[in-house]
Amino acid sequence: METVTIRPPNVPLRDTISSKFDIYAAYQRILKNEEISTPLAAILALTELIENSDAGTMFELVKALNDGAAELRGRTTNPISLNAGCELFIAFVTLSTHNSTTFSSLKQELVRQGQNYAAEALTYRKKIAELAVGFIKDGSVILTHSYSRVVMQTLLLAHERKRISVFVTEARPRGLGIKTAEALTAAGVPSTVILDSAVAYVMEKVDFVLVGSEAVVESGGLINAVGSSQIAIIARAANKPFYALAESCKFHRLFPLSQYDLPTHNSNILSFSRPSQSKLSMPVTTPAVEFPKPIKELTDNELLNGSHKITQEQISKNNPDVDYTRPDLISLVFSDVGSLTPEGVSQYLVGMFSGSE
Amino acid sequence: MAPDIARNTASQRSVEVLASKLRRRQLVGSRTTALETVLVLRQVVSKARFSNLEQLVDIIRNAGRKLVEAQPKEHSVGNTVRKVLHHIREEYHTATRGTSVVPTAPSYSIAKFVSQGQPRKQITAPKAESKGTIKEHDANDPDSFAKGLKPVLMEAIQDVLDELETVYDNISKNARDHIHSDEIILTLGMSKTVEAFLKAAAHHRNYTVIVAETAPSYDGREMAKSLSSAGISTFLVPDSSIYALMSRVNKVIIGAHAILANGGMFAITGSQIAATAARAHSTPVVVCAGQFKLTPLWNLYHEYGALDFGNPSDVLGFEEGDLVDKTDVVNPYYDYVRPELIDAYITNDGDHPPSSIYRLLKETYDDEDTEL
Repeated sequence: METVTIRPPNVPLRDTISSKFDIYAAYQRILKNEEISTPLAAILALTELIENSDAGTMFELVKALNDGAAELRGRTTNPISLNAGCELFIAFVTLSTHNSTTFSSLKQELVRQGQNYAAEALTYRKKIAELAVGFIKDGSVILTHSYSRVVMQTLLLAHERKRISVFVTEARPRGLGIKTAEALTAAGVPSTVILDSAVAYVMEKVDFVLVGSEAVVESGGLINAVGSSQIAIIARAANKPFYALAESCKFHRLFPLSQYDLPTHNSNILSFSRPSQSKLSMPVTTPAVEFPKPIKELTDNELLNGSHKITQEQISKNNPDVDYTRPDLISLVFSDVGSLTPEGVSQYLVGMFSGSE
Repeated sequence: MAPDIARNTASQRSVEVLASKLRRRQLVGSRTTALETVLVLRQVVSKARFSNLEQLVDIIRNAGRKLVEAQPKEHSVGNTVRKVLHHIREEYHTATRGTSVVPTAPSYSIAKFVSQGQPRKQITAPKAESKGTIKEHDANDPDSFAKGLKPVLMEAIQDVLDELETVYDNISKNARDHIHSDEIILTLGMSKTVEAFLKAAAHHRNYTVIVAETAPSYDGREMAKSLSSAGISTFLVPDSSIYALMSRVNKVIIGAHAILANGGMFAITGSQIAATAARAHSTPVVVCAGQFKLTPLWNLYHEYGALDFGNPSDVLGFEEGDLVDKTDVVNPYYDYVRPELIDAYITNDGDHPPSSIYRLLKETYDDEDTEL
């Protein structure tokens, strides 16, 4: 019997020879640093991929980058901001003119650029905070949603110079709003957690709404933790300004026409639960038809053991993580490239990704 | 450098004179202040001694800062300074292109790549052909740089001046396309731009104008007089009837004091009423304003104090002695009108919707000049 080693048909020779660089592990490792946001982590992961790649031509390099980005995308549940970072870096690699003499020096240059950008981007939050603080009057009451590092920095900076008080939504199911409120109270800012459902109740007391972002999309709309769209609609109804803070690496070339156009939407979200399993799992020997007792007649025991209980986990699985806020509900987007109207954002994206001069 | 500025006492004096005129409000009105500012800047640049671009920019910035601080509510002063700086940088880049060694190696950073997304104005006809002899930081002859560049800068400043002087003509160029026969136009206050616009259209079209009095300055009366003397059939109405008449009005044409970065504007008191009434009746609101009124500032409307205030005795005179003690009288001179209420801006550089004001600003001014 002869043993023939057959190379799987679709794997190019290079991959079998070179050691596999696990981009997802690198990405996870980089994300451990709390300061780094997901698009930056994606860019840094891609620079590591370049370091470890032995591509000899631009085409191979870009293909490797695209494959790496696709792998990252496939393994994260919420790939939107990650996409933004990957696209920015790949566009930079392909669209901008480079003046390196050899390919290896070009690769080094790209790695260096990626790392420089990440280092610089950490100062962006401060820049955005400075910009946004100009819009915060003394004595403002601010409403914010969930936890965002940019918003935290802005609020803390504002607290140094003016008097502010903050309402934070709980942001269920992850409850990150509680984290925000705790951090603010520790810094001396009067803040309180409100129910997600109490936003309309509190909106009249609020001067303006300030939220962070996962991504700002081409239409000028905002993708942020679920609940932001609701808050924006209520703010519009109460005539309060709605400001979004976003670093420029979060600008993404997506154009969702509805909530369900987002890449994070899948068929599990908002699906209706199947009828109770107890009917189906009963052994065949028992009488064929047994109607389940009406809920009132079930004893407590049966309720707990039966399949009528809905767990918190099920709720979080069944519900979206992010939602899309329409651009006409947003007053201004503050980013490191300046304060932009939602229309200005789309002009930016077109200019950035079409490589025009 | 300080010594350079101290040496130019003549230009310093002219800056001081203008600053005191602005402070004492001997000089009012966006166009007049803009013109005076350009003249002063021209003098400053012609007498300035500098050996590189940063020094010149510093000199102009210092002068500009003094003027803006003298009267922060006259936004066209700051705008003119920014425009002059923008032109100077453009001319400098054209003049030194391809000759001097580029001081910093072209840094293709991702940050630069991102900011390239900004719209850039195409330089149409640069005045200077690449002059081969412009040297910066020449130790032997520190004035050579200045001497080489000054004529070009003077031309650039003259351009700005020309633009300011032909503002009314350029805006009224297409007036007849905006007004149709037998239309009823509503306007407010006394804006020379709107007056020129309406008079230009009157040459070609027969239409009616309703002018609101615009208390307490009653500028509307002057406007009505001027328009009717030009042969336009004019109605003078009190401000309270603006909403009542709005259903008969086809267009609202008003002027602006300053156009803000988000597309909103400061305009004479009463504009907010007219714009809101027009929105309720779905009547188009058109604003005629020169491009020198474009202001790259955002959050002015947050501060109530950003509006300019007039003399309260116009509203409640001192003859009402009792009342004056017991009431707080406020006479805001300008209104802030939101961008959602405005349909189009007619400027000397074309017509634009409020959403593209942001883009216009990026093309007209440089980012680093927003804070002088």
